Parts: sequence; structure tokens; C-alpha cells
Amino acid sequence: MSAPKLNVSDVATLARLALTKEETEKFTAQLGQVLGHMEALSKIPTDNVPEVHPPDHPVLRKDVPSPSLSVEAALSNAPAQANDLIVVPKIVE
Amino acid sequence: MSLAHETIASLRRRLAKKEIKSRDIVTDLLKEIDAREKTIHAYTHIDREAALRSADQADLSRPLGGIPIALKDNLNATGDPCTCSSKILEGYKSPYDATAVARLRQAGAVFLGRTNMDEFAMGSSTENSALGVTRNPWDSSRIPGGSSGGSAAAVAGRIALAALGSDTGGSIRQPAALCGCVGLKPTYGRISRFGLVAFASSLDQIGPLTRTVEDSALLLSSLCGHDPRDNTTDSRPAESFLAEPTNSVKGLKVGLPKEYFIPGMDGETEQAVRAAADWFRKNGAEIKEVSLPLTPSAIAVYYILATAEASANLARFDGVRYGRRAADPKDVLDLYQRTREEGFGPEVKRRIILGTFVLSAGYTDAYYRKAQKVRGLIRQDFEKAFQDCDLLLTPTSPEPAFQLGERTQDPLKMYLADVFTISVNLAGTCGISLPCGFTKSNLPIGLQLIGPRFGEEKMLQAAHAYEQSHDFWKRMPPS
Amino acid sequence: MSANGKWEAVIGLEVHCQVRTATKMFCGCANQYGDSPNTHVCPVCLGLPGSLPVPNEEAIRKTILTGLMLGCRIAPVARFDRKNYFYPDMPKNYQISQYDDPLCAGGSVGLDLFQFPKELQETEEAQARRKIRLVRIHLEEDVAKSFHFEERSGIDFNRAGTPLMEIVTEADLRTPGEAFAFLGSLRQILWAGGVSDADMEKGQLRCDVNVSVRPAGESKFGTKVELKNLNSISGVRRALVHEIARQIAVVEKGGSLVQETRRWDDNAGATFTMRTKEQAHDYRYFPDPDLLPVRTDRGLQDTAKKSVPELPSEMQERLVRDFGVTAYQASVLTADRVLCGYYEKAAAATKNKAAVANWILNDFLSTQPDPATTPVKPEYFAELADLVVAGKINSAQGKKVFAELVANPTSPHDLVKKLGLEQISDTGALATMCDEAIAANPRSVEDYRAGKMNAINALKGFVMKKSQGKANPVQIDEILKQKLGG
Repeated sequence: MSAPKLNVSDVATLARLALTKEETEKFTAQLGQVLGHMEALSKIPTDNVPEVHPPDHPVLRKDVPSPSLSVEAALSNAPAQANDLIVVPKIVE
Repeated sequence: MSLAHETIASLRRRLAKKEIKSRDIVTDLLKEIDAREKTIHAYTHIDREAALRSADQADLSRPLGGIPIALKDNLNATGDPCTCSSKILEGYKSPYDATAVARLRQAGAVFLGRTNMDEFAMGSSTENSALGVTRNPWDSSRIPGGSSGGSAAAVAGRIALAALGSDTGGSIRQPAALCGCVGLKPTYGRISRFGLVAFASSLDQIGPLTRTVEDSALLLSSLCGHDPRDNTTDSRPAESFLAEPTNSVKGLKVGLPKEYFIPGMDGETEQAVRAAADWFRKNGAEIKEVSLPLTPSAIAVYYILATAEASANLARFDGVRYGRRAADPKDVLDLYQRTREEGFGPEVKRRIILGTFVLSAGYTDAYYRKAQKVRGLIRQDFEKAFQDCDLLLTPTSPEPAFQLGERTQDPLKMYLADVFTISVNLAGTCGISLPCGFTKSNLPIGLQLIGPRFGEEKMLQAAHAYEQSHDFWKRMPPS
Repeated sequence: MSANGKWEAVIGLEVHCQVRTATKMFCGCANQYGDSPNTHVCPVCLGLPGSLPVPNEEAIRKTILTGLMLGCRIAPVARFDRKNYFYPDMPKNYQISQYDDPLCAGGSVGLDLFQFPKELQETEEAQARRKIRLVRIHLEEDVAKSFHFEERSGIDFNRAGTPLMEIVTEADLRTPGEAFAFLGSLRQILWAGGVSDADMEKGQLRCDVNVSVRPAGESKFGTKVELKNLNSISGVRRALVHEIARQIAVVEKGGSLVQETRRWDDNAGATFTMRTKEQAHDYRYFPDPDLLPVRTDRGLQDTAKKSVPELPSEMQERLVRDFGVTAYQASVLTADRVLCGYYEKAAAATKNKAAVANWILNDFLSTQPDPATTPVKPEYFAELADLVVAGKINSAQGKKVFAELVANPTSPHDLVKKLGLEQISDTGALATMCDEAIAANPRSVEDYRAGKMNAINALKGFVMKKSQGKANPVQIDEILKQKLGG
């Protein structure tokens, strides 16, 4: 693990966060420290880590319908709605 | 004496004898809330009328019939807010019950209010709440711990009988230690996470904060058991804990991990915890020194895995389907970016950035996959230790409650304070914190007992035995 | 291969296919198309805070079944991963999918000749019946549906969470025709297994295409372009025809292509840039911690094995071999299992299995019957075929009986009597009528004896008219020829 190249701006774009310049600078310094602390992990040998085996018991759901929310309940928290659709600014490909 | 000062177990007995009504308990609690909540600020929401109504309708034949319980504000309850102490969930009303909430309802519990927390459970001091800080009932200039700081402060401050919290890296146990009450993190998979707003899916667990170990066992018994709505719950059905207290630790093998007693740790904490170990030895337990060699890497592993999972879990907060939406977004990208920028606090943003980074192209092997492997080794450490021990005994927190504002500019220092609790989440085993002493300045000190996976019964028995042989649990914060 | 044989197209497909189940992939909401918006949603498929997914056993079983039908290796342990990206049709802004450990790997789809466009069925390309290799099949959840208006978009989450199989091919396809045939052949198999209705109009089958060009004979791949927004099987073909031509035009001029995603516009008949490789998503895949790995070798594979049907290709071979139908007829029957069942019932009642096929596919099918409910019993066609082959009625009469059969379904034997159509095969009676014909048509007799072979038709016509169509045409032909001495 070489020195981590954290570009806070690029990562913020991936995470859809519009950080201010101050935040970007502050986080770069703070997270730089945190990542520095994580360097030590690379020295731990991990070739023989035991695999966690999946359980044998069935963990699946039978294909039987269960009640859905009413439309009112489903849209009750929607910031914008029209004609039972949740509304957002026009999606452009 | 105010009913608010009693334990659930004792109140249940009195309700059964018809000495009191559930309404009386709620009324007494509300009186205490009126007296002290302004200072403590443990609650984000209190619905007095609803609580009194529920109390009047409570089915006393149920295991928790008529008992008021507070919920951490990240647990969905139908019709209630669920802010996670974040601006981004302002105005949100849950259309469904978390399984844990539904089970408490079924057990006859009454819901009194919702408690403050670090935003999205990210923090160790409840200073990251967008709804104001919570103060330690023992010293209002100090933190209550976090992220379940509101729950712990309410229980310790006698303005709640019990509260549910959530624990991802210590968020139940650490505030319980700092506030002087009992906080239990069950084995991962013991209590359903359905309806708990997710922080780190492979680490989160719901658990009770209570006055006593007996109360904790009561709540655990009503909460646990397989849930088909949570794929990660164990297949075990619900079971009853501490049904027959042994009040004995004779023959118990108790391990003290040497990595948890480090030079430079707070002297009073060390003293109190070692005294507890002595009590165990004097009462017939065998004390052994054990080693959990990967302890120093736990924080790094935790902050890689937890933030990675959190970065994905918090992606859904985007202003589209619920919650706060930025005003007049000019397009979808603007909607996302501004909603999240305005809605999330700095700690949440920091962790999302870190989590997104450790998963991003080119870094995922070095960080995420490496951390997963080391986690496997940490799990192995605990399994080895439990081959020779029934329980592990450690301090919960390296130090008692620090001052509000002391660490807010130093995230790394804040993270390092989780060192004693974090490994338990990584290994997926159970842990409980209970009071084991007080500092000279009357601040609580917490003792942590750690059990193997699904070893809650033995752990609760030992904790109960220790607790009842001491008076710490009876001590109350200054009015 | 392009018209001048210089360039070769290399095509791979990514097909998304909705699995036919009662409920969604990770919650119990109904998996239903066409209902009012947001009437089939719950905290899970709406991505509400605190919700958790639980996998649908039937969706997994049907995916394994698909893998078995296509000859894939089934993973003994399957895992789900989170694919992270933001989009308004994504309730959680991550999609639960499979990355490292898909349910199925390898396998192939044989190109069915009759799934090629009609005009290509005679070509070498179609006749080659190539097998297209698959890379993998994995299971994931579908996204919501958006509707676009002038300044806003509206989202319906009914579709969000529908189980979706993603079938990825190797870059084995070489022409738009093959891509067309691939989708049709795949659909036949999916129908046979009851796995999906695969209706592209309803969004149950969606297809993205990867296409590049290279000099003929070259083994290195050219720059790959991804095409999206292909809404029908013929749309896929049209888009490929256009895009291949576009790419060849660029490289022939010495230009270079950009690795990018392009959007097909069916109205404009062209592709347009959507995003370049640099703008491509970083999906940050990691195993979904909310979902335990699924063991398929503890019963799921066994259950799926029991449902493996006769594949379309196997069925076609069997029909041609055992029933003597043509390859084309076999393909029609295979495409409609109910019709095929009807046919097989009819064919079971007679030796004349090919004749029965003709009656059912050529005549009966054009009346648009519902083979499941029609009162015309399949055995009637066996009877009808037997009557004609035995010479009891001629084929013209057979058509009359058929028309009556459809109108008033009853035994053809009875219908023949009812219509008074017994063919006259009595040699004596026929000979008499032939004599009458010869006597009445001296000119035609002369012409025939002079070498005009067709002149016999007038005599035949006379006999048919005289017999009201009941004369056996083969016999009168023989008798006339005998009498005319030639």
C-alpha cells in the first residue's frame, strides 16, 4: 500500500457531495491522518485467513406475495409528487 | 420514591400486584423529564399524550406490559419521526415498524419518546447530532458518549426506565460506561436489524440500555429471535435470558486480554477494572491473562469496513423519495449534491468520503479487501481466546467522559477512543458494559464483559452476579 | 462481413430478462406489469431507511433452470454484491447484483435457423446454425421506471426490485442477422422453461450491444462501442446495421473510434454519444453484507433439474425425425407448446403424421384457433388426413370437409356422409363417366392423341363436373389414359 492518493474532490463527486473548498481542504488533512493510521494493515500477513462458511439452513424467501404499502403511505414522505409518481427534475440521459 | 427511579423488574411486580398503573409510571417519568430534560437534552421527540394513551391501553399480562421504553431516533416506528439526528431526515415519518419495535409492542411496552444520537450513529460523543448535544447527567459539561448518548443519558438521568440503542463499534456500551448504566450489545444476528437505519450492515446491532442487568435480560428476551425479514439473523428462535440467576461466578474462566491494559491508560479506570477482576477471583472465578494480538489493527479495520458499508447505506439519502430536498434544484445532479451537502453533518460527510475512497477503483484491494481479511483474523483471535475462557473482562472505555468540544476538531483522536469496544463488533460476539466504579470527580467507570457468539446467558449471569454484589448500580447522578 | 469482405463485425450482447415470479427479487411485493403507479411498493423496494432485502427462492431456482437449459456451470455458492451508482430510478442508489460469484457461468445458445429474418434463412450464415457462447448469467434487481415530461420526470417504483437475469455472451456474433436470431432463439428457450415471458414491448427483455469492427481475418479486437436504448429485436438489428456501417466508414477513412456508449434513436435511425470511457461509472462493487451467501447444492439445483423441459432444438429434431414434419413446421410447433401438444395428440391417432401437420399448420392455423380450448378435437384431423390419403375423398373435397369441420366440429367421417362427398372410386362407374367424357370432347381427344398432353385436363374436368367433384382424380387419370391409348 503506497501513500494513499486521496483526492477528496473526485471522491466527493462519486458520492454526490457538493463540498465547499474549506471542507475539501479540512477533510483532506483529517482523512490523510486517518489513512496514515491505516498503513500498518499492509504489514499483516493475510494469506491464511479462514473462510466463513455460509449456513446450511435455508435463508431464502418463498415466492408468496405480502401486502404492499398503500399509494398514500408510499408517497407520504415524497418531497414532490404528481399523479402518483415521485417527481424529480427532468432526467437527461 | 418516584417510579422513575425503579427498575423494570420491580415495576412489573408492582403492576402485577395492581399497586400501580402504567399511567403512574409515565406520569412520574414526565415529571422527571420536566425537571431535568432541559439540561440533559436526551430526547429528540416526546409524545406525552400518545404515551399516556398507550399506558392506559397496555396489556399487563405481557412480559413488558405497561413499561415505558425510549427508542433511539434511528429505529422506525409507524407514524413516528425517524430523524437519526440528521437534517436530511427532517419531517420523515415512518410508514412501518422495525421488527425490534414491533416485538416490544407485542410485549406490551409503551413508547415514551425518541432519543438523541450522533448523526446516523457516527460518533462517540453525541456531539455530531444536528438536533443539539446531549449532556452527561453526572456532569453537564461533559459528553454522554455516543452514538446512543441520548439513550444512555436518559436511563442514567432517570428520565427513562430503559431505552433501545444501536451499537456498531461501541455505541451502546461506551455511552453506558460514561453515563453509569448497563448497555448490552448482543451477538451479531441475535436481534433483527429490520427497521434500524443502517450504518454498517455487518456490524450494527440493536441493544438495550437499562438500569440493571436483570432489566437488560428482560428486554433481550423480548427482542431476540430469528426474523425472516433480516437475512442476517440467526435461525435460533427467541429465548429467555437470566430466567434463573445463579448469582455465582464460581468456576468461571475469565480472561484479561493484555492488549486492553496498556501503559498510559487512565489510572482510575484501570484501578476500577482491576478491582472488578479481583472480585471475580475472590468469588471463585479463574482469572487468566490472554492475548488478542490484532487489537492494535482493529480501529483501522473498523474504519475501513464500517465507512465502506456506510457510504453505500447512506447513498439512498438523496432527496428523491423522502426526507429533505434542496430547494429549486436545477437538475438531478444538483438535487443530489446540494441535498446531501446541506443535509449531512461534517462527520457523516467525512465517513462517506473515506468509505467511498476505500471502495474506489484502484484502492479496493489495498483497503477494503485487506481489511476484510484482517477482520477474519480478529475473529479468529476471539475464537482462540474463548477456547480457554468463558468470558473476557476489559474496561469499556480507555477513560471517563471528556469535556464537550474537547475532541470535535480531532477525528482521529475521537476514533481511537473506540479501541476497547470495536473488536467485539468485528468479531460479531456479545458484550455488556456495567458500572464498576466512579472517579474522584464522580464520573462513572464502565466494566466490559465479552462473551463468545451466542454466549449471552453466561455473560448476563456473571454481570448480574457482579452487579448485585456492588452498589454502583444504585448510585444516582446529582439532581 | 461487410459487403466488400474487407471488414468483420464483432458483436457481444448483454441481455436483461425479467424472471416470471409472483413477487419481487428481495421483497414480497407483487411482480406485476401495467398496474397504477406505486401500488406495488414497500419499504424494501422503495429503499426506505432501515429496510433489508431477502432473496426470492423461485427467482434463484428459475435462474439455475435457465443455466441448466443453456448448458452453464452452476455455482455451488452464489453471492450478491452491491453495484454503486446514483440514478433517480435506483431506490437505494446501489443495485443488488452479482459480481464475483454469479449463479451461472459458461453455456451457449444455438442459433435456430427459423429465428433468422425470413430473407436470410437461405443464407450460409443462417444454415450454419452456430452456437454462441455465453460468459455468465447472474441475478439482480431491476430499477424503477421513469416517465419524462417537459421539465420534470416522474418515477414509478412498481418495477423496482423485479428479479432480472443478466445474460452476457462472448463476442461470438458476427452479423446483425445473427444478433436477431440469437434473441429469438433465446426467447424460445426462456418460454420453454417458463422462466420469462420475454416481451420486449413490456420491458421484460432488454438488450445492450457491444460492437466493434476489424479487418477480416484479424484476431485483435477493434475499439468497442456499447449501444443502448434498443427496444425491439428488429431494433437491435437496425441499430447494428447502422453502427457497423458507421464504424467501417470511420476506419476506412483512416480515422479512429472512441470507446464509448452510444444511444440508438430508432426514429432518427442513428446512434449518438451518451458517455465516453472516462465518464464511465466506478461501481465500487463489494459483497452485500445484508445477504448471506446462497448454497445451491443443498436442494435448489435438484429442484431446478426436475423442471428442465425439452429444449426447442431437441423438440424440433424429434418432430422431424418421429413425425416427418418439415424443419419449418417443427419450428412453428416448437414456438407454441400448446399447439404442439394439440398436434402431437392428432398425430398419435394416425400413421399420416406429416399430412396431419399440413392440415393443422396450413389450414387450421389460419382460422386463428385457440388450441387449448377449441371444440375441434385434434383426432378429427387424424381422421381427415386418413380419409384423403386412403382416397375416400380427394383433396378438394377434403378442403370442403375442413371448412365444415371448423364451423360444426364433428367427426369428419360423419361430415363426409352429411355432405355427400364420398369419392367415387368404383372403377366401373368411373369408366362409364370417362367414356362419356371422351364421347363429349372429340376435339380434346384428337389434341391429346396428337401429342398435346394437357388436353386430358378438359376430359378430367368433364368427369369431375359430372361426378360433382367426387371422382377420384388419380383413378380417372389412369382410366382416361388407358382408354385414350397413350
